[in-house]
Amino acid sequence: MPREAEPSLNERAFVVQALQEGLRIDGRALDQFRELDLKFGDQYGVADLTLGKTRIFAKVSAEVTTPYTDRPFDGIFTITTELSPMASPSFEVNRPTETEIMLSRLLEKTVRRSNALDTESLCLVSGQKCWSIRVDLHVLSHDGNLIDASCLAVVAALRHFRKPDTSIEGETLTIYTPAEREPVPLSWLHSPLCVTFSFFGEEADIVVMDANLLEEQLRVTSFTISFNKHGEICQGAKLGGTTVEAMTLIKCANDALDKVKELTTWLDLKLVEDSKRRDKGGLMAELSAENER
Amino acid sequence: MATQGPVIVLPGDQIDPSLIPSRPKKALKLGPGLRHIPPNELVPTVAGQLTTDHKKNSIWVEYNGGRYIPAVGDLVIGTVQRSAAEYFYVTLTDYTSNALLPQLAFEMATKKTRPNLNPGALVYARVCLANRHMDPELECVSPATGKADGLGPLNGGMLYDVSLGLARRLLMRKSLEDGKVAVLEELGAAGLAFETAVGRNGKVWVNSESVKTVLIVGRAIQETDEKNLSVDQQKKLVRKLIKEVS
Repeated sequence: MPREAEPSLNERAFVVQALQEGLRIDGRALDQFRELDLKFGDQYGVADLTLGKTRIFAKVSAEVTTPYTDRPFDGIFTITTELSPMASPSFEVNRPTETEIMLSRLLEKTVRRSNALDTESLCLVSGQKCWSIRVDLHVLSHDGNLIDASCLAVVAALRHFRKPDTSIEGETLTIYTPAEREPVPLSWLHSPLCVTFSFFGEEADIVVMDANLLEEQLRVTSFTISFNKHGEICQGAKLGGTTVEAMTLIKCANDALDKVKELTTWLDLKLVEDSKRRDKGGLMAELSAENER
Repeated sequence: MATQGPVIVLPGDQIDPSLIPSRPKKALKLGPGLRHIPPNELVPTVAGQLTTDHKKNSIWVEYNGGRYIPAVGDLVIGTVQRSAAEYFYVTLTDYTSNALLPQLAFEMATKKTRPNLNPGALVYARVCLANRHMDPELECVSPATGKADGLGPLNGGMLYDVSLGLARRLLMRKSLEDGKVAVLEELGAAGLAFETAVGRNGKVWVNSESVKTVLIVGRAIQETDEKNLSVDQQKKLVRKLIKEVS
């Protein structure tokens, strides 16, 4: 497996020196995110998120399966991540790197374990039939801060997704096509989002948000915290590296909450925009026989 | 086909014979992006602008993109990976095989006074051997004069990645007229003091006393590259960046 290309000594020294003066290589403020853009596909549940040069593609799909025997009332919800060699030559198919494991683990903790998706609502016939919701996440281009971008993309795709409507009459389960009945959104409880902080300097006293790939390679440690907009912490991860003062972490958490609120509002806006774009007047417009003249 | 205006070719295109320079005394020189199929057919292998030089009786395709392929005489910036008994192993582009830089290929280097470069150090070097199936070889000294001519280890500063096309344009002798890049001149005219080294492998090294200057120069170069700015736009960008800082 090719090793990740490491930055030269000059770059190492310069990035840290500039950060000590409060300057970043790309001219951003220390707590500024790169430019965010989100596009939804023609299908429901397809989100394409770009954060600077990082690009993430998430696709949600649903199918009917039998639930796990130990959880007959719960549906199945999985998130799979794939870091292909397209994103960076140091990634290899079927051999997860540490980055990939960390990414899927954090997404698992943030989105799945915080009960953002109500899995009980996915149950159709207890013990026999349930929906299995699967999120496939592809990293198309890797320029740092995969975690925040991926989390945003997953949440956006899940909130955008519509599953086919169903009905049960006696013993028969009917699944309707989109033409028969409008698909229904998932039962979504809250939107947890990650914010990652990178620390620089020997004492880890320089705090940077949304690090790019170069900064990520040079940081002494990182801290990822997940919030929803109500201020509930879903997860916090500080995995190894230099020790960070408790007060700094508390300050980070406050900053993260502000950022999460900002991102949530942005995401809500994007979803509303998309639903407006899709809304062609509903069934009445479709049934109308009037021609445009 | 009109001879005025740039001629764009695609791989496999037929080249208009009137565009091929013909001087009876000199042999026709083919540059990058063209392939000669004997006896007398010329086929472009990349998409780009067909360029000719009638004085030198040469023809080539100017293109921007792809991976850097070393050619003899190119000035490159490499990162030292490790040093062995006689050579430094240097990467020119990430994830490709290393180039060799002999430890004695520096100015005034002897067995006792050879430079000590740690892994990760940057060197500005010239490609002196480049064959398709061999690792390229570099040198930091002119073999004719024994002088460094500005080549050698690069200390301090910051390394920026640019596209191969911009690196080529920056290295042109008349970079303003032919290459249409004015950023560096404009930045210098604005009163910034800095030094640069441009590697043909898409790297620009910038150094200055002040960190801010390095950042401005780096951002100006990268923005010029990414947005493909014209000379006027470059001037405007420089004015904007200078204003932002002061």
